[in-house]
Amino acid sequence: MSPSTFRGQALAHDTELVQLSSRTERFDHLVALAGNPNTGKSTVFNALTGLRQHTGNWPGKTVTRAEGYFAAGGTRFKLVDLPGTYSLQAASDDEQVARDMLLFGRPDVTVVVLDATRLERNLNLALQVLAITPRVVVCLNLMDEARRHGIGVDPVALAQALGVPVIAASARSGEGIEAVREAVRAMAAGETITTPYRVPRFDDTTEATIATVEEAVLSAYPELPNSRWVALRLLNADDRVEAAVQNGELAALSAERLPAAQPTPVASAAMLEHGAVAVETGNDVLAVASAVRWQLATDFQDRITEGIYRSAEAIAASAQLAGVRRVRFDLDRTLDRWLTSRVTGFPIMVLLLGIVFWLTIAGANVPSAMLGTLLIEHGHAWISSLFVAAGAPDWLRGFLVDGVYLATAWVIAVMLPPMAIFFPLFTLLEDFGYLPRVAFNLDSMFRRVGAHGKQALTMCMGFGCNAAGVVATRVIDSPRERLVAIITNNFSLCNGRWPTQILLASVFVGALAPPALAGLVSASAVVGVTLVGVAAMFLASWLLTRTVLRGEATSFSLELPPYRPPRLWQTLYTSLVDRTLIVLWRAIVFAAPAGAVIWLISNVNIGDASIAEHLVGAFNPVGLLLGLNGVILLAYLVAIPANEIVIPTVLMLTVLTGAAPEAGAGAGVMFELDAAGVGTLLRDNGWSTLTAACLMLFSLLHNPCSTTIYTIYRETGSVRWTTLATLLPLVMGVVVCFLVAQIWRLLAGM
Amino acid sequence: MVFAAGVVALAGVFWPQRGLLALVQRTRRVTERVRIEDAVKYLFHVGEDGSVVRPEALAGALVVRESAARALLARLVEAGLARTEGAGVRLTDSGRRDALRLVRTHRLVEQWLADRTGMAPGEWHAVAEDAEHELTREEVDRLAARLGQPRFDPHGDPIPTATGELPINDRVLLGALAPGEAGLIAHLEDEPADSYAALLAAGLTLGRTLVVRARDARAVDLEIDGTRVSLPRLLEAGVSVQRAPYTPTHHQMTLADLALGQSGTVLAIDLECRGAQRRRLLDLGVVPGTRIAAVLRSAAGDPVAYDIRHALIGLRRKQAAWILIDPDTTDTDSTDADTTNTKTAAELV
Repeated sequence: MSPSTFRGQALAHDTELVQLSSRTERFDHLVALAGNPNTGKSTVFNALTGLRQHTGNWPGKTVTRAEGYFAAGGTRFKLVDLPGTYSLQAASDDEQVARDMLLFGRPDVTVVVLDATRLERNLNLALQVLAITPRVVVCLNLMDEARRHGIGVDPVALAQALGVPVIAASARSGEGIEAVREAVRAMAAGETITTPYRVPRFDDTTEATIATVEEAVLSAYPELPNSRWVALRLLNADDRVEAAVQNGELAALSAERLPAAQPTPVASAAMLEHGAVAVETGNDVLAVASAVRWQLATDFQDRITEGIYRSAEAIAASAQLAGVRRVRFDLDRTLDRWLTSRVTGFPIMVLLLGIVFWLTIAGANVPSAMLGTLLIEHGHAWISSLFVAAGAPDWLRGFLVDGVYLATAWVIAVMLPPMAIFFPLFTLLEDFGYLPRVAFNLDSMFRRVGAHGKQALTMCMGFGCNAAGVVATRVIDSPRERLVAIITNNFSLCNGRWPTQILLASVFVGALAPPALAGLVSASAVVGVTLVGVAAMFLASWLLTRTVLRGEATSFSLELPPYRPPRLWQTLYTSLVDRTLIVLWRAIVFAAPAGAVIWLISNVNIGDASIAEHLVGAFNPVGLLLGLNGVILLAYLVAIPANEIVIPTVLMLTVLTGAAPEAGAGAGVMFELDAAGVGTLLRDNGWSTLTAACLMLFSLLHNPCSTTIYTIYRETGSVRWTTLATLLPLVMGVVVCFLVAQIWRLLAGM
Repeated sequence: MVFAAGVVALAGVFWPQRGLLALVQRTRRVTERVRIEDAVKYLFHVGEDGSVVRPEALAGALVVRESAARALLARLVEAGLARTEGAGVRLTDSGRRDALRLVRTHRLVEQWLADRTGMAPGEWHAVAEDAEHELTREEVDRLAARLGQPRFDPHGDPIPTATGELPINDRVLLGALAPGEAGLIAHLEDEPADSYAALLAAGLTLGRTLVVRARDARAVDLEIDGTRVSLPRLLEAGVSVQRAPYTPTHHQMTLADLALGQSGTVLAIDLECRGAQRRRLLDLGVVPGTRIAAVLRSAAGDPVAYDIRHALIGLRRKQAAWILIDPDTTDTDSTDADTTNTKTAAELV
C-alpha cells in the first residue's frame, strides 16, 4: 500500500448516507425506528406507515434511510427508519448514522423493534438506545414466530425490567401495530413516564474512570439526560461526540431538554446562544476525559459489551414466561439438514435455481413476443402514421419515433417480461429463507477467492439485471466483500445480453451441428459462455482481493434466519414495484437518449456518408484485430446505455453500411429478422463463426451498461471503484477476444 | 485511436502530482528527508538508555556508507536536532520531539492497519515506515481522533500523545491484562503482608509468565505455567506484569474444535482477532460466559453454523478458531461452567 493510497483510505471523509425522502409533509413529532437486522423492522415500518418498502428474510435491508408518516389520535408523526444494526458503538457507517440520529436528531419517541425469539442479542441494542434516550417504546415483534418456536416472553415483565412500554406485536399480520401507534402517541404527548433501565456497574476501575468524566460532563451540562453515556463515549474518544462537545451541540441538547421538544434542526438558535460558553466548558470536559483515559484497561470496549450482555441475559431471564420451554423447532432443523447436507445440498440448489431460470427464459418468450408485436410492429407504425398525419417534418418523426421511441420500446419488450418473472421467483426463495442457506453452502468456494458466500446470490440476481445485482450487494455487511461483489457483478450475463447469446448461438454455432442436434449444441454454447462468466467472476474476485482490495476491512458473519412461510401476493407486489419497475425505469431513462444518438449518427451526413459510416470505417481495423468488426464496436459504443439494443443496432448498421440495403427499414431504424434472415444478412456482410464466437465473448466481457455504472457509483460513492468496475471487464474482454481471434486464425491458417 | 493513446501516455508522464515525472522529482526530494528522519528515530531508540550514537553504528542501522552516516549526523547537529557528545551524538530536546512525532505516526498507522483493514500483521511495519514520512501533523491528529485516540499500538507499545508525552509502559497492573493476554510477572507488592502471602501461595513468582483466562466481578482466572488459579480481584492490584508471550503447556480448545451437537462456554476472543471482526463477534454476543453450540455444517464443510444466543450464525473456521472455549463435558442443559480443575485462592491461603 503506497502512502497516498493509505492517506486516501485512512483519512477519507466519513460517509454521509443518502436520505430517501420522496415528500415532505407537516408533522408534529419525530419518531425513530431502531432495531437489529432481520427483526422485521421494515415490516413494522410498512405496517405503521402503510408504505411498501421491500422487506426480505435477510439481515441488513435498509441502508439508505427511509421515511414515512402516520397519524394517531389527531397527531401526525414522521417515522424515520434507521439502519438495522447490532450495536451503536459507531464502528460502521450504519451504526454511526443510527447513533447520530438518536443523539443529535432528537426524536420525540424512539421505537425499538425487538425479535422475541432472540431477546438477548436484541436487548444489547435496546439497552444502548435506553442509555441515550429515555423516550423509548419497545415493539416486541415476531411474537407469532416465538409462539411457533415455543418461546414465551412476558411483555409485562419485560416492560417492568426495562422501565419503558413494551408492546407485543406480529407486524406481518398487523397484530399489535395499533397499540404501538397509541403508545407512541401517549409518549409524545408526555402521558407516559419512563424509568429506563441502566446497565449496572462495570468493574471498579472502569466505574471510577466513568464517574470522573461523568462528573465533569454533568457540571458542564447539568440538564443532559444521558451524561453517563456521553462520558463513556468521551472515554472512547468518539470523535463525533467530542466534536459535539466542542461546537456546542451538546450544550444545546442539554438546554433544550424539555418534554415533547419541537423537532428543530440541529443548528438551532439555542445552540448558537450556548455556543460561546460551550467552547470553554467543552474543552475542560475533553481535558478531563483524555487525562483519565490512560487508566482504562486495554480491553475497555470488550468489557462494556460484556457488561451490557450480562444485563441483557438477566432481563431476558426475568421476562421468560414460567413453565414455557423453548422447543427445538424440528421442521427448521430437518429442512436445514436436507438443504445444507453434503449429499443433497448442492443438487437441491442446482435444481431450484435451474427451475427459476427455466421459468424465466421459457416464460418470458411469449409475453416478450407479444410486447414486441404490440410496441414495435404495431405501435411504431401507428405512431409514425400519427406524425405523418399531423404533418410533422420527416426529421422530427425520424428522431422521435425511429430513434427515441423505438429504442425505448425495444428495451421494454426485451427486459420487462423476464424481470417480472425472475424477481418475484427469487424474492419468494428469499422470503422463505432459502437464499442464506445457498450462501452458507457456497461460502467456501467464495472464501477461497476472498469473497463472501452471499456473493453467490448477488451473482444470481445479476443474471436478471446487473444493476439489481449491484443493489442486492447491500446484504453483504462486510466492506471488502461487498466491493468485490459489486465490481464482479457484471460477469453475470444479464437479461439484456441473453437474447444476443441465444441468437448468435442458434444462427452460427447451432448451424455447425447436424440439424437434429442444433438446438442442444446452441444451448450448450450459451451455457458455456455463462460458465466462462462465472469463471471470470471467480478469477476477478481472486485478483481483486489479492491486489487493490487487499487492505479492505472484513467482518464476516452469516446469519441463518428461521424459515418463514412466504407471502405470495405481497412478494409479487413489492418485487414488481421495488425491483422490476425501478430497474426498468432507469433503463428507459438511459435507452431513450441512446435511440436518439443512433438515429442521429445514421442520418446526419458529413461529406458523402453518415457519421455512422465514418465511425464504422474507423473502428474496423481494431474490430478485426479482436475478431469483431467496426459495426459491432460502434453498436457497443452507442448501446452502452442498454445492452438490449445491441443486436437491432448491429443489424441496422450492417444494412446501412453494407450490402443488401433492401432488408432494412431505413437509416436509424432498428429492426429484427428471423434467425435465418439474420444469418444470411450477417454472412453476406463478412461474418464468420469466429465473429460470432468473439461477439458472444465480448457480449459477456465488456463494460457494464450505463444504468449499472450509475448504480455502482451510487452504491460505492467512489469514482475509483466505479472506474475499476467499468474498465476491468472491458480490458478482460479485449484481451480474451484478441487472443481467441489470433489463435483461431493461426489454427485456421495451418 | 493512436492520438488518444498518445494523449493518455503524455498525461501519464506529465500529470501534475500523479505523473511519472512528478514521481521521480518527489522521490529524489523525499529520500533526503527520509534519511534524516530515520536517523532521528534511530538516535531516539538508542538514546533511551542514555548512550550516544557513533557514525559507524548509524551506518550499520541505515545500511549506508560510513561517510554518508557521518554527513547525516553533521546535518542533524547543524539543524539543531542533535548535539555532539564525545565520539558520538545525542538528540536535543527538539530532536526528541521530532522523534516522538515519528514514533506516534508509526504506531498510529500500525494501529489503523490492525483495526480498520484486513492487512496481515507482517505487512503493517512497511506501510507504517512509509507513511510516517508522509503524513502531516494535522493528518496524524485526525487519524488519532478517528481511531478514538488509541493508547497502544497493536504490539502493545504506547503511542506518544500529540503533545509528545510517552507513558512508561514496560510494567502494567495485572488488571490491565484482558482475558487472553499474557505477561511476565515483574513486580509483586509486599504490603499488606497477607495479600503478598496469598499471591505467593497462588503460585505467582517473579519471572514466571501467566495468561489471563477469564475475569468476573469477584475473581480473575489465571493460568500460570499450565496451572489454573483463581485470584480474588482485590489482589490484582498487587501484581505488575510486563507484556510477554505465554506458551501454554496444554492445548487450548477453540470453537472450531467443537463437534456438531457439542457446546462450550466462551473464555475469551483471541487478541489476534481485531477491528471490525472483533466488534462483530462481540456484538453478536460472543462474550466470556456465553454458551455456544455447533449446530450445522455447510455442504462444503466450512462455515459451520453455531447457536449463539438463540440465533443461528455461520462462522468460518478461521473465525471460530479465535474463540477460546471451555467445552461442556456433558450434553446437559446446565449453564454452569466446568470448574473442577480450578482452585480458588481462598483454598490456597
